[in-house]
Amino acid sequence: MSTETPAEQILTPEAVDDSSFDVVETYRNLLAMDPDLTMPVAAIESLVLGLAAHPTTTISETLDLLRDLSQRLAESTPNPISLSAGTDLFQRYLIMSLRPGNVPLASKKGTKKLPATDDFTTIRAHLLKHGRSFVANAKAARARIASFGRNLMKEGCTVLTTGGSRVVAALLREAAEGGVRFRVVYVLPPPRPGRPQSEGLDLVKDLRERGVPVATVSEGAVGYSLAGGVGGGKVDMVIVGAEGVVENGGIISRLGTCQIGMLAKAAHRPFYVVAESHKFVRMFPLSQGDLGIEQRIVDFRTDEPNPWDMTPDPVDFTSPEYISGIITEAGILTPSAVSEELIKIWF
Amino acid sequence: MENTNMSPSSPLPSIVAPTAPDSAIPARDGPMQAAAANSPSGPDTQAAAPKKLSGAELKKLKQAEKAAKRAAKKSEATPPPIQQPGEQPGKQKRQLQPQQEHGGSKSAGQASSLKISAKSTQASRRASVSAPAPAAPPSGPKKRVGLFGHLYGNARRHTIENAPKEVHPSVLALGLQMSSYEVCGSTARCVGMLQAFKSVIKSYTTPQGTSLARHLTAHHLSPQIEFLKACRPISISMGNSIRFLKDQIIKIDPSVPEPIAKRTLVAAIDTFLHERISAADTVIAQAASARILPGETILTFAKSSLVLKTLLAAHNAGTSFNVIVLDSKPLFEGRRMAKDLAAAGIPTQYMPISAASHAVAEANRIFLGAHAMMANGRLFSRVGTAIVAMHAHEHDVPVIVCCQSVKFTDRVALDSIVGNEVAPADELLGYIGGGPAREQLLKTWTETPGLQVLNILYDVTPAEYVKLVVTEYGSLPPSSVPAVLRILETAQLGM
Repeated sequence: MSTETPAEQILTPEAVDDSSFDVVETYRNLLAMDPDLTMPVAAIESLVLGLAAHPTTTISETLDLLRDLSQRLAESTPNPISLSAGTDLFQRYLIMSLRPGNVPLASKKGTKKLPATDDFTTIRAHLLKHGRSFVANAKAARARIASFGRNLMKEGCTVLTTGGSRVVAALLREAAEGGVRFRVVYVLPPPRPGRPQSEGLDLVKDLRERGVPVATVSEGAVGYSLAGGVGGGKVDMVIVGAEGVVENGGIISRLGTCQIGMLAKAAHRPFYVVAESHKFVRMFPLSQGDLGIEQRIVDFRTDEPNPWDMTPDPVDFTSPEYISGIITEAGILTPSAVSEELIKIWF
Repeated sequence: MENTNMSPSSPLPSIVAPTAPDSAIPARDGPMQAAAANSPSGPDTQAAAPKKLSGAELKKLKQAEKAAKRAAKKSEATPPPIQQPGEQPGKQKRQLQPQQEHGGSKSAGQASSLKISAKSTQASRRASVSAPAPAAPPSGPKKRVGLFGHLYGNARRHTIENAPKEVHPSVLALGLQMSSYEVCGSTARCVGMLQAFKSVIKSYTTPQGTSLARHLTAHHLSPQIEFLKACRPISISMGNSIRFLKDQIIKIDPSVPEPIAKRTLVAAIDTFLHERISAADTVIAQAASARILPGETILTFAKSSLVLKTLLAAHNAGTSFNVIVLDSKPLFEGRRMAKDLAAAGIPTQYMPISAASHAVAEANRIFLGAHAMMANGRLFSRVGTAIVAMHAHEHDVPVIVCCQSVKFTDRVALDSIVGNEVAPADELLGYIGGGPAREQLLKTWTETPGLQVLNILYDVTPAEYVKLVVTEYGSLPPSSVPAVLRILETAQLGM
């Protein structure tokens, strides 16, 4: 992993200059360094590094520090949903591990039990060490999801997908390498100012190189591709990624995902979401307006054309009723199982 | 628990043996109403017989019938005198009620005494939520709506007359307040009960030769609970609290001196009230009020103390919004809600539930209270809630339920029939806007053949109509009710 080196350097407390650590900077660097890194994992990694950089001696000091760092990270980005999934999870993980005899769910794999000691420095060293394995686990999740997900893809099927999800990419590559013959309808959003190349073009190219027939269509052609009858009806299933999976089992994803979900439901095609469980967010939106972030997507005006590029990376909320299953590293969950998983982590 | 209702001092059941009315009614009704469908003797055989029988045989039959009639008259003559003393001192209201509830297609004249006694067979059938349905519905011509027959129990107790001597005065008072809806609503009843039990425990002394842990629950608390049940079937929250209290009592070491044990129990009740109700209320109101956005129209139905707290919390936080309160007969609980909201300065509209389809279309969010959340995610609440939620689902308006975890139950509800509470039917007939003439229209419903009046208090809302349940453990989809139950269970084991 390319990020391994800087982390190891900072992990030695002597090398740390307390004031020089900038959590936002670290976060951005981590994301820039590793294109495979997702936002929640990068956030967790920055927190681990932040923890290493600040010599804390008490539990409450540590928790305060983490809260402060998470706050700063969240403020640095217009859409902190995905990021906060990571920071929340890490804080929770920490609180759980500080409780004696209690090993949180996320740490079960590959993490040893916390040493039974009252000495906080020992605990701190343990946390720093296993914070790293937490990150490694999160990354390994993607491979597991790909292996689960490809079982859903039958020989000769046609998959509709959209967005630039790394998990979807991993899944489709795995299926292609595994010898499943399938076709892909790739919905490409029009290039926007600030994002000249549509997300997903890399994957399209990659898949075509692997011999997978890919049709790129515009957002307006989703209904056409999903519909039954001659001409349409080529798509058997929809697979999308998610930025965050919320408590009711709905997802927050690239703008346009919601309408694909609605159309898939109307056309009776299964709509699968692939997401690592560290993307589970403890929020409960009831509608598009509940996301807690400022987006100007519908903007009524009488004077000038809509500045529709106001929001750089707009997202929407897909309600759980449109979702057939959420493929995670823990298995394929129904939307209603998400809150159960979250409750397991939080209580 | 339901079956212990026939306590010896309960006035009604003790008067006539349970089987008496069933045998008496057909015998007396037989001659008057030719071939009443469900009377097993007399008329049926008479109607079928004549063609085949000879004159002598017919004569014999008539004689036998006359003898039977005489016997019936005799047996009939005896019970009433015994019954009267039991009935007379009771207030008029009580005499009225059983009649209305149970009056058959028979004339009102015969009704009063016999029908009351008929109820004794039903003594154990007191409806409580999700009580298992009895094997067979009662036979006999009664003014009961067929499907809901199992829910009719004893008439509600409205007096303290003949109450067991163990019942504490505060419980007596609370019982009457409950039966008259003075104390109404799942939370209020639960709090009231626990407060009353605090005085019960304070004034309790353990008899010689036994210990508090063994004696208090079975011999002292049970009569209090039975009395409350006779006044009105207890709510899920009350049942959960009683279970908690019993747990606390059983945990007390027999060697602990009584004053300390009592103090421990009272403190445990106080903690319970604080943690599970008042603190939970605050947390829920805080979380739920954050769901109200400025300028929204919030719709609510009837009255929930928790929804009221939520709306007031949002108002106090400076959010400006409108409220539509839907309300329905017979309790008109929403009036209190509308009054309190308006008094707080929230623009409020009050509408009948018949306007639900129109009102829901105007609303941005629906806030509902709960009587109970069932394990299958269904909402058990005041009758009418399901209609509102259904309209909301239809209009894609999110339904938010505010519910403390004390109201969660591991029972499931598939319909509103198996578990429900049937209230006296006449409560439904009082006060009609169209003036006294219209109000009188159904006054004689007990004597109108084929007319039945059903006044159920609750209904079940399907889980898919509910978007969100706000509890003190967080916001959950209704499908996560079992998860909360699991948390509660582990919390209890850990205690």
